[in-house]
Amino acid sequence: MSASVTSSLMRLAQQRYRAFVETVDHLDDAKFHFSAKDNLCAVGFQARAGSAILEGYVPPFDATPIRRLKDAGGQLIGKTTMDEFGFGTFSVNSAHGVPLNPFDITRSCGGSSGGAGAAACLIPGHVALGVSTGGSISGPACFCGVVGLSPTYGRVSRYGLIDYGNSLDKVGLLARSASLVREHFRTIAGPDPKDPTSCAQPTLPDKGRRPDSLAIPTEALTNLDPAVRKGFQEAVGRLKDMGVQVKEISMPSLRFAMPAYYILATSEASTNLARYCGMRFGRREEELNQHFNDFFTGVRSVSFGDEAKRRILLGTYCRMVGFRSRYYLKSLAVRQMLIEKYRKIFQEHQAVLTPTMPFIAPRFEEISRMKPLEMYGADFLTIPPNLTGMPHISLPCAYVDGLPIGMQLVSDHWHEMDLLEMASVWEGAFEYHHPEVRL
Amino acid sequence: MKIGLEMHFQLPTRSKLFCSCPTSSAAPNHNVCPVCLGYPGSRPSLNRKALEIGVSIARFMNCKMEEKVWFSRKTYFYPDLVKNFQITQYESPLGTDGHFEVNGRRIGIWRVHLEEDPGRIKRVGRSGEEIAFVDYNRSGIPLVEIVTAPDLTSPEEARDFIDQLIIELRSLCGLEAQDEQSIRVDANISMGQERVEVKNVQGLKNLERALRFESVRQSKLLAADKKVVRETRRYDEERKVTMPARDKETEEDYGYIGEPDLGEYRIGEMARSLDLKETPLARARRLVSAHGVNETTAKQLVLTSSSLTDLFEELCRVVPPEKAVTWTMGPISSNWSALQRPELWPELASIVRADADGSLTDNEAKRRILSLAGVKQEEAGPESSDLIMIIVEYVEAHPEVLADYRKNPKAANMVIGHVMKESKGRHSSKEVVEEVKKELDKRV
Repeated sequence: MSASVTSSLMRLAQQRYRAFVETVDHLDDAKFHFSAKDNLCAVGFQARAGSAILEGYVPPFDATPIRRLKDAGGQLIGKTTMDEFGFGTFSVNSAHGVPLNPFDITRSCGGSSGGAGAAACLIPGHVALGVSTGGSISGPACFCGVVGLSPTYGRVSRYGLIDYGNSLDKVGLLARSASLVREHFRTIAGPDPKDPTSCAQPTLPDKGRRPDSLAIPTEALTNLDPAVRKGFQEAVGRLKDMGVQVKEISMPSLRFAMPAYYILATSEASTNLARYCGMRFGRREEELNQHFNDFFTGVRSVSFGDEAKRRILLGTYCRMVGFRSRYYLKSLAVRQMLIEKYRKIFQEHQAVLTPTMPFIAPRFEEISRMKPLEMYGADFLTIPPNLTGMPHISLPCAYVDGLPIGMQLVSDHWHEMDLLEMASVWEGAFEYHHPEVRL
Repeated sequence: MKIGLEMHFQLPTRSKLFCSCPTSSAAPNHNVCPVCLGYPGSRPSLNRKALEIGVSIARFMNCKMEEKVWFSRKTYFYPDLVKNFQITQYESPLGTDGHFEVNGRRIGIWRVHLEEDPGRIKRVGRSGEEIAFVDYNRSGIPLVEIVTAPDLTSPEEARDFIDQLIIELRSLCGLEAQDEQSIRVDANISMGQERVEVKNVQGLKNLERALRFESVRQSKLLAADKKVVRETRRYDEERKVTMPARDKETEEDYGYIGEPDLGEYRIGEMARSLDLKETPLARARRLVSAHGVNETTAKQLVLTSSSLTDLFEELCRVVPPEKAVTWTMGPISSNWSALQRPELWPELASIVRADADGSLTDNEAKRRILSLAGVKQEEAGPESSDLIMIIVEYVEAHPEVLADYRKNPKAANMVIGHVMKESKGRHSSKEVVEEVKKELDKRV
């Protein structure tokens, strides 16, 4: 595709769909084009992570995944819209506009990498860096009808990622096809001394092994929108026709994933967000001539959004003396237990298969009626692999009234290439739809 | 009286604990980078050298060593703390349950752990119109925190404890020359049931004063049948009193969680394989127990020079220790710069042995040692060194005189009288008095 068409699509994605919060002026025709979620730092761009508190912060360094894509011949064309610090499922908690779903602009792109999902969907050949903590790549990939890979925790360096929950955050990719994802995943993966948690990984194999046996936890099939259930069952039928063994299993412990996830994620987030206090970087409009406690309280009260405040309160509560062992420490144990449950399943099956989201992309008016707990509940299928740090991929698997439905495959740690292998095979049997956009 | 200490020492590394910024001094905010400024997106990576030094200190303090350790976040808001949390070790210190001996008493060590230093706040301008500047050069400087059990029983002992600890750590790991004024200490002190924490006292002199003030204050309260309130106090250096701290830091809940960016470090093997060298005071204790040298002499010897002590130990193999002391602390020590070359030591040893078995007179032995040192005999004044020999011999044989002298300088008269008698008027009384005082002061 010519740079001028890409350029027009990029403008369209920015102006009509609000996928970008910032873009370059000129596209370099000689390079491949990629975007980065706004919580990844890049020289020359603001990095605001969807928050007003980071207004004007231009980091002096590139995040490692961005650096690596640039070194591989890529041009960073823009930063994509997101929920503030990744706190959300629909990208409505953003201080810089809400991205609109390319299939239907009255609907959400999903979140928190909503802008990345929309950009990947709208621009052919585009690869979008996303970040997942509890499902922030799978969700938008599902609602925007693209492929979304969340790698194993520790596979891709987090240097330059503005933290949400450090023990959960993973940098991954969204694009229209598995082959695009595969190509760039190889570039961004690998150890980086600037992120010690990336240094214990095994080498990425050249090629994965196609999983021939998948497990579906029956618990994942409850509470689904009937349309999603139907679309998913059709996809399962298609997989069986392709010769893949699919077996329903029971995984009752899945229900512990959500509370454990929210406790760990908010505990970590509440410490990560402590640094935003109107000093050293970001927004600082408060009167300086006052006690420090009043100063930073003022900055934070004005600049954090409601969801950020909710998660800071929740996380701080969970860390308090007396609650720590009841919540935080117990959640660490739940994470370990779930890893073991998955491992047991992986002794007999190569991957766990579920729908990605329990419903199709909701309308904004529906979202505005949802309570926080209902919103959290929408992530019940994407949270378990995120909590356990296991790689997962979301693929379009059916369409209802022209809107995409996604399925999610989870494999054991470090087996991303198996997932990509499966995705390629799937793409040979199932054609993805892309929305028609008028330039 | 029960006193417990919490001390922080800067580790002698070239770079900071979690980034590669230098630890040397620089203009304000020049030794900084995104990591030690806590910029969003930056993250820490551990300085291995700092971990190694921390582990060697924990082992030196006879701690039970952990197999694996991790770091924690201690969250509180303060302008000098870039992330508004400090990376420290909470559940998993490097070592616990150790001990350190001071003046023959064993003091318990509760824990030894690593943490990062915050920046420094500097206030300028008139009170009420102050402007606060923050310098982040110190942000991320590696510190080791050592926490003692409340085993110390007096302000003097607390001071001796730190004094001696610094001597040992300096030699163990090249700890920066932390002068007495710069060290910061938190101290717990209780005269009865309830303890009071005096936070952030700077300098050993202030620590001793703060503890003394606090012990008097608490004793008075208890004598009047009043209660000591458990609280955090600070020491006012100008008024020389402790006062309740404005912000109740101890009441705060730091909400510790693990630091997920750093993972776990297996230090068991490192701790076992470290070869700790013998520290000066430990060596002094060994000299006392192995050679029966008196404690003061042993300390003076090891603190003078470790190579002089090496020679002393060599001499001990050929002559009785008291002879070795006399010669080492006498003419050899006085000419040490010339005699420290090890190739001269065999000759020194044979002179000293010849003196001990009677084949040389003291004077002849002395003359040979001085000539070995290249000292011209006429100028050297054999009489004066003869005088020193008499003094040293007497002081060595009568350690109680030295102990007396510490409290009462008049104890010197004992020595002076003895020397006048021994030297049979060969020296003027002025000379004798001066030399005795010089020798005694050297040892106190």
